[in-house]
Amino acid sequence: MISYFVRRILLIPITFMCITFLVYFVMRSAPGGPIEQARQQIMMQDGGGGGGAAGEDLELPQAAIDQLKRYYKLDKSKPHGYLIWLGLAPDEDKGDRFSGIVQGDFGRSYLWSDPVIETITSRFPISIYFGLIGYFATWLVCVPLGIKKALNHRSMFDTGSSMAVFLGYSIPGFVAAMILMLLFSTELIGCDWFPLGGFRSEGWDDMWAKGEVWWCIKDQLHHTFIPIIGYVMGGFATMTILMKNSLLDNLGADYVRTAFAKGLPENRVVFVHALRNSMIPLCVSIGHAIGLMLAGSFLLEKTCNIPGLGLLGFESIVGRDYPVIMGVLVFAVLIKLVGNILSDIVLAFVDPRVRFS
Amino acid sequence: MSRDDRQKLLELRDLRTYFDVEGRTAKAVDGVSFDIYTNEVFGLVGESGSGKSVTSLSIMRLIPNPPGRIESGEIRFRGQNLLDLSFAEMRKIRGNDISMIFQEPMTALNPVFTIGYQLREGIRYHSKCSKAEAEDRATEMLDLVGIPDPRRRLKDYPHQFSGGMRQRAMIAMALSMEPGLLIADEPTTALDVTIQAQILELMLKVREKTGDASILLITHDLAVVAETCDRVAVMYGGKIQEISEVKALFKTPLHPYTQGLLSSLPRPDKQKKTRLDTIPGIVPSIMSMPPGCKFAARCPIAEPRCERDEPELREITPGRFCRCHLVDGKGGGRAW
Repeated sequence: MISYFVRRILLIPITFMCITFLVYFVMRSAPGGPIEQARQQIMMQDGGGGGGAAGEDLELPQAAIDQLKRYYKLDKSKPHGYLIWLGLAPDEDKGDRFSGIVQGDFGRSYLWSDPVIETITSRFPISIYFGLIGYFATWLVCVPLGIKKALNHRSMFDTGSSMAVFLGYSIPGFVAAMILMLLFSTELIGCDWFPLGGFRSEGWDDMWAKGEVWWCIKDQLHHTFIPIIGYVMGGFATMTILMKNSLLDNLGADYVRTAFAKGLPENRVVFVHALRNSMIPLCVSIGHAIGLMLAGSFLLEKTCNIPGLGLLGFESIVGRDYPVIMGVLVFAVLIKLVGNILSDIVLAFVDPRVRFS
Repeated sequence: MSRDDRQKLLELRDLRTYFDVEGRTAKAVDGVSFDIYTNEVFGLVGESGSGKSVTSLSIMRLIPNPPGRIESGEIRFRGQNLLDLSFAEMRKIRGNDISMIFQEPMTALNPVFTIGYQLREGIRYHSKCSKAEAEDRATEMLDLVGIPDPRRRLKDYPHQFSGGMRQRAMIAMALSMEPGLLIADEPTTALDVTIQAQILELMLKVREKTGDASILLITHDLAVVAETCDRVAVMYGGKIQEISEVKALFKTPLHPYTQGLLSSLPRPDKQKKTRLDTIPGIVPSIMSMPPGCKFAARCPIAEPRCERDEPELREITPGRFCRCHLVDGKGGGRAW
């Protein structure tokens, strides 16, 4: 068992390198890199002044392009550039030192010149906050609902809630959040109850410093409500149905009949014998789901304007901010890989039949 | 010993268990009556779909509802009709006065709890004893069914047991409360042939040491019946076709179906060259049973009236019942 997990952990760097190289390669290959971004910026400024007459004259001088290329390390081949980023090849801009991910140097953002690692670590807790609350809220909603649906299979309640599940399956979380904000954060139907996105209100830190704890908590919850509904909507259908089907399967199992034949009361048979087995597939999904949630939901954070890892990733992709894209990727990949191992550990914990070798 | 001297433990009277399937009614058990006396091993034989398992689950009131329901009849256990009991009262009977062993030892135990947990659970629920007492009782039972190092093996999960050992654990579980009646639903079908005899022997041995339960043994295997049972009922099409002492049944089977079953057994004293006899045709669908004798379509001696009128289960000789128009009591043997 231990050796299995050791092997799994040893596999992390290899998987990590494959994923990051692939993304680096695709990112560098995609059109609209930092040079084009810079060119466009200059064009906008010049175009504003010189009217529509200019056109081809606006092309940057070759020398400037070369300089930019060297600055962004685009003059290097993709594998070379990747190795520099990784810290396994010397970086001539830093005096031929090895300085990359391995050394803990994530580089600086092209757009804001801030160190990438600082940006990420300042935004990570926000994603964790929403991710964890969202995940637990999903469990809190889906597990009881799934159990009730299984116990009342084919009843009115089951059919009715299945329609909600269908709806949840067809509406992505970020769309649900958008609709909710439209309804409850604007004057559209006269119910301007919640803020239009954001993590906290403007003066939150000042209020906190003043000791207005109660106001701060209220404000925080106020901002949390709609995004969390979005998170729950994201996993709602899958998880509810997984719970229901899993329990339904187990209720028909032979050992449930054995438990009844022993004379155990129904509650004990259902909630101890059958439920324990039905939780196995759900527990296994923990690692996967935590990985997804902690790395932040790109679209949900964008719609709700939550300054987490997801929004950062979204903005860095739009702005071709290579170091930030790669930095966010590193975090997402590591969380995902650790999450997968976590899944295995949880599985070994809840299912005695599982033996890794 | 004359049968009338013995006490009746279980009396089934005209039990009917129906299943509603797609708007139609499947009469899985259709008017079954038999008695089980104390200290006896009673066999219930029949092919798949004959209603023998449904009969046993009806006794435990474990018929899933819907789609199943016990339509009518009486199940008297020690004189009390089990069908009159509330769910709570029935729970006190299950696993305590009547317990059950199932066909599939591989799936009949819960994979995520230890053998010990599952053994203790029933003991503690019925006897309200402490955990330590339940543990001792569980160890004792596991020892009784021949599992070495029982106290340690209690901590094992079912997947760490072999099929035979799991069935032993099931027997330990079923007999731990010293029930009056043990229902064994094809207890050896899923096991290796070499293990089958061991398990049957063990079942008989252990019940002697734990309050002498009567056993209702459900099987399709006539060899198992011959080895273990005192009396036997043959089921076909949801109805009892013949009830008899085991020796008499094997010596002079009355019902054509029983005769067919017996002649389809391989016998060492027969010439090896001849092919085994088979019963022609297939079991009629449970959804569309014929109005007359359920076996008429496959019966070698059927007359027109057999397909029209259902014969009654008649006592041919004392203690010997048969459901056939063409069998009479005179001569005792092949009456037709």
